[in-house]
Amino acid sequence: MEAKLQVGFCSVCFHLSAEPVCDICRAPNRDSSTICVVSDSRDVIALEKTREYRGKYHVLGGLISPIDGIGPDQLNIHALQRRVSQQKIDEVILAISPTVEGETTTLFVGHLLKPFTRVTRIAFGLPMGGDLEYADELTLARALEGRRDLEFGSR
Amino acid sequence: MYLKTLHLRNFRNYPDQKVEFSAAKTILVGNNAQGKSNLLEAVELMSSLKSHRTSRDRDLILDGEAIAQITGHLRKEMGEVDLSMTLRQNGRRSVGLNGLNLRRQLDFLGTLNMVQFSSLDLDLVRGGPEQRRHWLDSLLVQLEPIYAYVLQQYNQILRQRNALLKGVQKSDLSRQNLFSSPESMSESESSSPSELALWDAQLAIAGSRVIRRRARVLQRLVPFAQSWHQAISGSTEALEIRYAPNVELVDDNPEALQKAFLDKIQQRAIVERHQGTTIVGPHRDEVEFTINNTPARQYGSQGQQRTLVLALKLAELKLIEEVIGESPLLLLDDVLAELDLSRQNQLLDAIQDRFQTLITTTHLGSFDAQWINSSQILEVKAGQLVRMV
Ligand SMILES: Nc1ncnc2c1ncn2[C@@H]1O[C@H](COP(=O)(O)OP(=O)(O)OP(=O)(O)O)[C@@H](O)[C@H]1O
Ligand SMILES: [Mg+2]
Ligand SMILES: [Zn+2]
Repeated sequence: MEAKLQVGFCSVCFHLSAEPVCDICRAPNRDSSTICVVSDSRDVIALEKTREYRGKYHVLGGLISPIDGIGPDQLNIHALQRRVSQQKIDEVILAISPTVEGETTTLFVGHLLKPFTRVTRIAFGLPMGGDLEYADELTLARALEGRRDLEFGSR
Repeated sequence: MYLKTLHLRNFRNYPDQKVEFSAAKTILVGNNAQGKSNLLEAVELMSSLKSHRTSRDRDLILDGEAIAQITGHLRKEMGEVDLSMTLRQNGRRSVGLNGLNLRRQLDFLGTLNMVQFSSLDLDLVRGGPEQRRHWLDSLLVQLEPIYAYVLQQYNQILRQRNALLKGVQKSDLSRQNLFSSPESMSESESSSPSELALWDAQLAIAGSRVIRRRARVLQRLVPFAQSWHQAISGSTEALEIRYAPNVELVDDNPEALQKAFLDKIQQRAIVERHQGTTIVGPHRDEVEFTINNTPARQYGSQGQQRTLVLALKLAELKLIEEVIGESPLLLLDDVLAELDLSRQNQLLDAIQDRFQTLITTTHLGSFDAQWINSSQILEVKAGQLVRMV
């Protein structure tokens, strides 16, 4: 109970963390020129399990959903924009589930970051309506390998 | 296809009832409120995962019970299939095929095909456009189960976009009331135009899919409906069915349609912002029935409307048979007794023994002897079935 109360958010990537800056952000051996953007801390945990990804993260803290009163301003999007525009970032990987809200969030963030860096998205082979959390590790690892540049045209 | 058995446990007013269908036609006879329609509803659920009577699973579970189960054994050309479905108070469902639990409910759709015809279906002609859209959508799900996903996506985008427009409308109004100048734009509003544009794009993509599929299915259905209508009405009347999409379909080009969709959104932007809701898209589609150039809604007698609905249902039956390559089940809820003997016989001729048919009625009196003689007859009494001799 006490341990739980101390958990807050990393001030850099907004992952759950007891320290002001999380373990992943502090790790010296991780590639800090790549940021993987996810909606939730649980997605970070799922991706970490694959041991495939060696870059950093950014947790949005939800998805754009007007029904729930969540617009871009309610998410950690401006902080992400600042991170990407002020540091040398080679690639931003958008790893957001392909729901209606996920798709809108992916496109919004993609539009915002495209002037600064290369933006890719994870190629989901995920079950329909499935969350990143439920995808098995192998599927996720494969998805990471098969990521492609974000397109803005019609599908 | 042939449904051999059905087993209902704690479903509606059935505590535990096994049914074995022993003839191509089964008549369920009983007084009001005994469970006839409930049984058909179970078949409808197995087919579409939906009930036309309720959207809450707890209505489907026997009062006081936690879960309901429906299982069925279906014989198809390519083999036998066991279907199972578990409903819970909290709305979480599990579905299975041949004992295997499915992760995606979508994979359950398209296994059991059926056409339903109840007295409510007269609303197809008399009722509002949403009735006709719903009818078309249900047919599409049977023919192309992925359409359930397409439509669900569209509706979700629509709900989200409406919520966003409502928010914009509210802030427009409060700005008008509190300030006289529009300069007081907050940060959130400065980013909302581009957010709206993203929802517009998604609406156009998903909406175009809905429109194209609806157009396609109607195109295939119309010839069947016309020929049935001619047969039933004795070729005195000419039936026309026209799809009237809210966003006009120019040719069958998805890009052109998406562009037309976005153009129309642009044209109606001010109205949408003012009304705070989405007024462009297939949720405003219509299907027009005309008989001898007169809209069927206003056209004469109930008898003629009934003829039209019967023709549509028979057309559905034939189209599903053609597309799926197997005959679907036909569920006739209360409707047969409403048809005169000549229409009853036309229906009988049309289905013969090729389509397994489940029929409900409160009395057998109005049935042609042909029907009675060739049918299995079951009496329904307070959630139990009794075989009649
Ligand atoms: N969840 C439930 N638990 C118990 N009983 C239920 C439940 N849902 C419906 N019922 C009962 O089922 C009965 C209605 O059954 P159904 O609609 O099948 O009637 P019916 O035999 O088709 O009658 P009608 O001839 O009027 O159409 C009612 O008595 C109703 O109280
Ligand atoms: Mg009934
Ligand atoms: Zn961090």
